[in-house]
Amino acid sequence: MSELFEGSAASWSEEPPVSQVPDELYEKIEGGPLKRIRIFLKQHHLRWEIAQQKYWAQRSPKLGIPVTDNGTVVRFIAKLIRTRKGVVTAMILANVVAAVAGLIAPSMLGGLVDYVSSTTHPDAMAHVSRTCLIVIGVIVAQAAFNMLARALSAVFGQDMVAESREHVIRSVLKLPVSTVEAASTGDLVTRVTRDVATMSGGVRWALPRFVIAAVTVGATAVAMVLNSWLLALPLVFTAGLLAVATRRYLRFGTIGFVAESISYGQINSSLTETVEGARTVEALNLQANRVFATDDDIEVAGQRETFTAMLRSELFVEVGFAYRLPLVFALIIGGWGYGQGLVTIGQITAATLYLQQLVSPIELMIMTLNWVQRGIASASRLLGIAAVPPDRETSGEEPADEHLVATDLYFAYREGHDVLHGVSLDLTPGERLAVVGPSGGGKSTLGRLLAGINAPRSGTVRVGGANVMGLPLDKLRTEVALVTQEHHVFVGTIRDNIVLAREATATDEQTWEALATVEAADWVRKLPKGLDTMIGSGHHQLTPAQAQQIALARLVLADPHTLVLDEATSLIDPTTARHVEGAMSALLTGRTVVAIAHRLHTAHDAHRIAVVIDGRIVEYGSHDDLLATGGEYARLWDAWTN
Amino acid sequence: MLGFPPTVKAYTRRVREGGCARLDETLTQDGPVPLSKPASSEPSGEVGGRPACSQVKEEVPDVRGPGRFIWWLIARQWKIVLLTGLVSLIWLLPGALAPYLLGRAIDDGITSHDMGATLLWSGLLLLTIVLSVSADSVQIVAQTASWIIALYRVQKLVVRKVAQLGHVITRRVPAGEMLSIASSDSDSLGAVTEAAGRLIGAFVSFLLVAGMVLATSVKLGLALLIITPLIVLGVAPVLKPIQKAQLVERERSSRLTGQAVDIVAGLRILRGIGGEKTFGDNYARQSQRVREAGVKVGTWWASIDALSTLMSGILLVVLTWMGAGELLGGRLTTGELVSFFGYAVFLVFPFQTFFEAAQKWTSGVVSAAKTIGVLGQDPPWSAPEPSSVILREAAGSTSVAAPCSLQDLASGFVAEAGQLTIIVSAEPDDSAALADRLGRYLSATNISPDEDEDGDSKARRAEKAAVRAKIAAADAAAASGDWGVCLGGVDLGQLPLDEVRRRIVLSDASPVVFAGTLQRLLDPTANHTREQCERVLCITSADDVWESLPGGWQGHIDERGRGLSGGQRQRLVLARALLTEPEVLVLVEPTSAVDAHTEARIAERLPEYRMGRTTVLTTVSPLWLRHADRVALLVDGRIVAQGKHEQLLADNAEYRAVVIRGEGLAPAGGEDHE
Repeated sequence: MSELFEGSAASWSEEPPVSQVPDELYEKIEGGPLKRIRIFLKQHHLRWEIAQQKYWAQRSPKLGIPVTDNGTVVRFIAKLIRTRKGVVTAMILANVVAAVAGLIAPSMLGGLVDYVSSTTHPDAMAHVSRTCLIVIGVIVAQAAFNMLARALSAVFGQDMVAESREHVIRSVLKLPVSTVEAASTGDLVTRVTRDVATMSGGVRWALPRFVIAAVTVGATAVAMVLNSWLLALPLVFTAGLLAVATRRYLRFGTIGFVAESISYGQINSSLTETVEGARTVEALNLQANRVFATDDDIEVAGQRETFTAMLRSELFVEVGFAYRLPLVFALIIGGWGYGQGLVTIGQITAATLYLQQLVSPIELMIMTLNWVQRGIASASRLLGIAAVPPDRETSGEEPADEHLVATDLYFAYREGHDVLHGVSLDLTPGERLAVVGPSGGGKSTLGRLLAGINAPRSGTVRVGGANVMGLPLDKLRTEVALVTQEHHVFVGTIRDNIVLAREATATDEQTWEALATVEAADWVRKLPKGLDTMIGSGHHQLTPAQAQQIALARLVLADPHTLVLDEATSLIDPTTARHVEGAMSALLTGRTVVAIAHRLHTAHDAHRIAVVIDGRIVEYGSHDDLLATGGEYARLWDAWTN
Repeated sequence: MLGFPPTVKAYTRRVREGGCARLDETLTQDGPVPLSKPASSEPSGEVGGRPACSQVKEEVPDVRGPGRFIWWLIARQWKIVLLTGLVSLIWLLPGALAPYLLGRAIDDGITSHDMGATLLWSGLLLLTIVLSVSADSVQIVAQTASWIIALYRVQKLVVRKVAQLGHVITRRVPAGEMLSIASSDSDSLGAVTEAAGRLIGAFVSFLLVAGMVLATSVKLGLALLIITPLIVLGVAPVLKPIQKAQLVERERSSRLTGQAVDIVAGLRILRGIGGEKTFGDNYARQSQRVREAGVKVGTWWASIDALSTLMSGILLVVLTWMGAGELLGGRLTTGELVSFFGYAVFLVFPFQTFFEAAQKWTSGVVSAAKTIGVLGQDPPWSAPEPSSVILREAAGSTSVAAPCSLQDLASGFVAEAGQLTIIVSAEPDDSAALADRLGRYLSATNISPDEDEDGDSKARRAEKAAVRAKIAAADAAAASGDWGVCLGGVDLGQLPLDEVRRRIVLSDASPVVFAGTLQRLLDPTANHTREQCERVLCITSADDVWESLPGGWQGHIDERGRGLSGGQRQRLVLARALLTEPEVLVLVEPTSAVDAHTEARIAERLPEYRMGRTTVLTTVSPLWLRHADRVALLVDGRIVAQGKHEQLLADNAEYRAVVIRGEGLAPAGGEDHE
C-alpha cells in the first residue's frame, strides 16, 4: 500500500463518521420486564461511566483550565456572605418572621376547629368571626414579610452574583499569558456565559428559596414539637431518610451535572462554529454535516440529561416517602394516643396540618438543592479560572538598557520533544532582524520566548540584563511586544481600544498622537463622538484597514523598544496593505524589530537574517553575507527570484 | 419499586432518537415541509451509520408572533406535555384526597375510638401516597423531557436556519444574537413548555377539589369557584410591568455576556499588550447595571409572591369561617371541616403553579420574539423560471466533461473555460467583491446595530425588525432576476442556487475550520479516498501539519483550527476546497499567510492539479502570477488589462506598480513590511 505520508494508511478510516453516543445507548428497551430492567440498568451504568470520565477529564489540568473542589466554592460563598452581614441578617429575619406568621395562621384556625366542634355557646359565630379577622391580620403580616424577605433576597442575590461574575472576569484577565496562548476559547466562553448564568440562577433564585424553605421546615418542626412531641416523632423518620437520600444524590449528582454542563459547552462551541462559518458551510455544502454535528451534540446532552433525570427521579421517590409517610404515622400514633388520652383532636388536626404544610417547603428545598448543586458545579468551574498558577514571578530586576539577548534557548511543548535546540541571539538596539525558514521550524516559538510569553525550558532571554520572565507584565509590555496576526477590536470606546498598555497613565493628547502616527486621526476626528465613539461588535463598525490602524496605534502608545512581529503579514493583511503600510513603517521607526517572516523580501530589507531550521539557527548574517556563503538562504533566494 | 413505567421508556426513547431530529414521532404531525433543500447532489444524505438528519422531514415553525410560536412548540410535543399534566395530576391527587381521608380517619376512627377504621383510612392514605410518589418519579422525568425537547428543538431549528440561509443570515442577524437564542432563549422556551404541562395538572386538580367541595357543601363550593378566578384576575395586571422590567434586565445581561465573550476573544491581546483594567472595569460597570435591573425585577416578583400568599391565605380564612358557620349550623361534621381546611391549603399549590407558569410565559414571550426574529428570515433566492431549465440543459449543466467559462458583465472579467485566471487589484477589497459576485454571494453589508439598550423595547424591536426587513428586501431584489455573471453563457440567476454552489466553489478570505479529525476536515462528506486526500495535502504542501498532528488522519483539530498556525490553517482550507473538485474554483488570497517557499511550491503544483478545469484566483504574488494562463487587472471595478504576467509586467505600468507593491519592495524607504 503506497502512502505519501507516514502512517497515513494506518490512520485512515473507511468507517463513516458515527455518533459520539455509544451504540449500547441506542438499544431499544423492549422485551420482558426483567430484560427491560436489565437493559435500562446497563444503560444507566454506562451513562454513569461516561459522566465520570468526562468529569475527571475536565478536572485534569492537562486540558487547559482546571476545576476547583467544592471546598473552595463553599469558602468563596462564605466570604461573600460574611461581607454582607447586614443584608443577610435582615433577609433571614424577614424570612423567619414570615415563616412563623405562616405557622400561626393554621394553628389558630386549628384551634378554631377544636372550638367549634366542642362549643355549645350560642354566640360562637361571633367568636369565630373575630378570630378570623385576627388571622387575616396575621396573613397580611405574613404577606408583607414575605415580600420584604423576597425583595431582600433579590438585593442580596443580585449583589452576590454581580460580585462573583466580576471576580470571574478579573481572574480571566489575570490568566497567565502562556495559559491564554494554549487554552481553548470555547471552554472559557462557556465558563463566562453558561456557567455564570447557571451560577447566577443558583445563587439568585435557588439560594434564597432554599433558605426560606429551610427556615420554614425548621420552624414547622419546632411548632410540631411544641404542639405534641408524640405526634412529632414521625419527623425523625423524615430527617433520616432525607439525609441518606440527599447525600447519595449529591455524590452522583455533582459528577452528573458537570458532565451535563460539558455537553452544553460542546453544543455551544459547535453551534458557534456553524454560525460564524455560515458562509463556509454554504460554500462547501456542509449543511448536512453541521446539522448532524449539532444534532449529535444534542444527543449527547440528552443522554447526560437522562442520567441526571434518573438520579432526580430516584431522589424524589425517597423524598416523597420521607415527607408523606409521616402523615400516616401521625394518624396511627394519634389514634392510639387519643385512646390513651395523650393527645387531643385539636393537636392531631394541627399535626396533620403541619405535616401537610411541610410538603411544599421540603419539595422546594429539594428542588432548589438541585439548583444549588448546579450552581456549585458551575462555580467550581468558574473559580477554577483563578486557580491557574501564575507562570511568572517578579524578580525585581530592572533592565539597564534596551539590549535584548537570548542565550542557549531550549523549549518543548511536549516533554521530550524540544522544538528549539540551543538558540542564541544578540540584538543590537535599533537593528532589524528577519527570522526565516520553513513552517514548523520553531520561528514562532522563538518569537514567543523573545517576547517573554513562554519561559524557555533552559536558557534565558534578558533585556538590559534582566530576565524577561522576571519582569512584571506591565513593565515587560513597554519593553518588548509580540505582534501577532490578531487585531481584535474590543467593545468599548476608541480610547479604550488604544490605551491598553498604558491604561492608567495615557492622556488624550498621547492617544491622539498615536492615532496621528498611524494616520487614523482624521477619520476618528470626523466621528461625532471622537475618542468616545463606541466600536466593536454591535457598535460603530470599522473597515478592516481602520481596525488595523487601531491595532497599530495600541503598539505606538505602548511604545516598546523591541517588537517581535510574528506573521505580521496577516496584521497587514493584503486586503488593506495600501492603507496601513505608512502606519506600519511609522510604528517600526526607531525600534529594534524581530520580524518572523514569510516573505523573503522582508529578509532582504533586514539588517541581519537568521535562518531557523528544525529548531536551530543554521545561518546568520546580512543578506549579502548569506548569499555569498551559498547556503540554505541563498538556495531559497534563488528559488524566489528565479 | 423503581419499575419504570412505559412513560419513562417513551421518554428515554425519545431522547435517544432525539439525536437525529426524530425528537418525537409526533413532530411531523402537521404536514412537514422541507426546511432547506440540501444543496447536495448526492442522493444519499447519509452521514454516518444512521440516517442523516437532512433526510428527516423538517418542520416549519409558526413565526407569525411570539405567542403563536410558543403554542406551536407546545403543540409539537403535546403528548409529552399532556403526560406531564397527567402525572402531575396523579402526583397531586393524594394532596387533594388526603384532606378527605384524614377527615374520615378522624371522624370515623380516632374520635370514635375505632382503631380498625383509623387503620383502614390510614391504609388508604398510604395507598394514595405510594401512587403519588411513583407518579412523582415519572413526573420528574417527564418534566425534564418536556423542557429539553423544546430546548433542543429550538437549537435544531436555529442550526437548520443557519444551514439554510448560509451567508445571508449573517447579513441580517448578528452572530451573537443567534448564539444567545440557541443557548439561553431556547432554555426559557423549554421552561414554558414544561410549565404548560404542570399547569394542566394544576388546573384539573383545582376543578377536582372544587367538585369535592361542591359535593359536600354547595355554598362552600360555589364560594371557592367564584373567589379563586377573582384572585387570579387580580394578580394579572401586575404581570405587565414585570415583563417590561425583565426585558430591560435581559437586554442588559445579554450585553454583559457579549462583553465577557469579547474579553475572552481578545484575551491574547489584553494579556499581551494590556488593558485588563479598562475592560475589567467596563465589564464591572455593566454588571452593576444588570444588578440594578435584576433587583427591580426581583422586587416585582416579591410583590407577586406576597399577593399570592395574601390571596391564598384569605381564601383559607374565608373557607374556614364559612365552614365554621356550617358546622355550628349542624350542616357539617368536624371531619368535614378538617377536610375543607385541607382543601384550602391544597389550593395554594395550583395557585403557585399558575404564578410560576405566568412568570415563565412572560419571559418565554420575550425569548420567542427574539427567536422568530431569526427563524422568520427567508432566503432571498427565488426559483428560476422553468424556461431556463432548457437553457441550462443547452449549457450542458449535466456534463462535467466540457468546462465552462465564467463571465462577469459588470467588470468585463472573463475566466476562460479550463484555464487558470488570476485577478490582480491594488484594492484587494475590489477583487474580493468580484469573487463574491462570481460565486453568487451577496456583497458584505455593514449592519451597524448601534443599540440603545434601555430604549422602549417594543419600539426598538419593531425598529430592529424593520431594519431586517429592509435588508431582506434588498437581498431579495439583488437575488431576483439576472445576476450579471454567466456560467457557460447562462446567467447564474437562471440556475437553481444549489446547482450554482455545486458547480462554482468559492473559498473566501476567511473560511472556518471546523473541529474534528483531520480526515473529516478535508473530506467532510466522506466521499473521497485516502489517495485523493493525500494528494491535496501534497499539493498544498501541508507535510508539516501532518507531522505536527499526532494520530495522522484521526488527529484532532480544535475548534476553528486553533493550535494550527495561520499558514497551516490556510493550507488545510485550500486542500479542503480543492477536494470538492468543482467545475469552477474561485480562491481568494489562498496563500496570504503562507511563507514564500511554500507558496512557490503550491503555485507550481496547483495549476497542474486543476488542469483543464476553470480556476480563478485573486492575489498579487508573482509566485502565482507566473503560473497563470491569464492575468486580469482590476481597477475601480473594471478589468483594464489582460494577458500573460510577463507581458503585462513589461507593458503595463499600473500593473507593475501593483505587483511590485505586492512584493513589498516599496520603492521609497524599503521598510520590511509585507
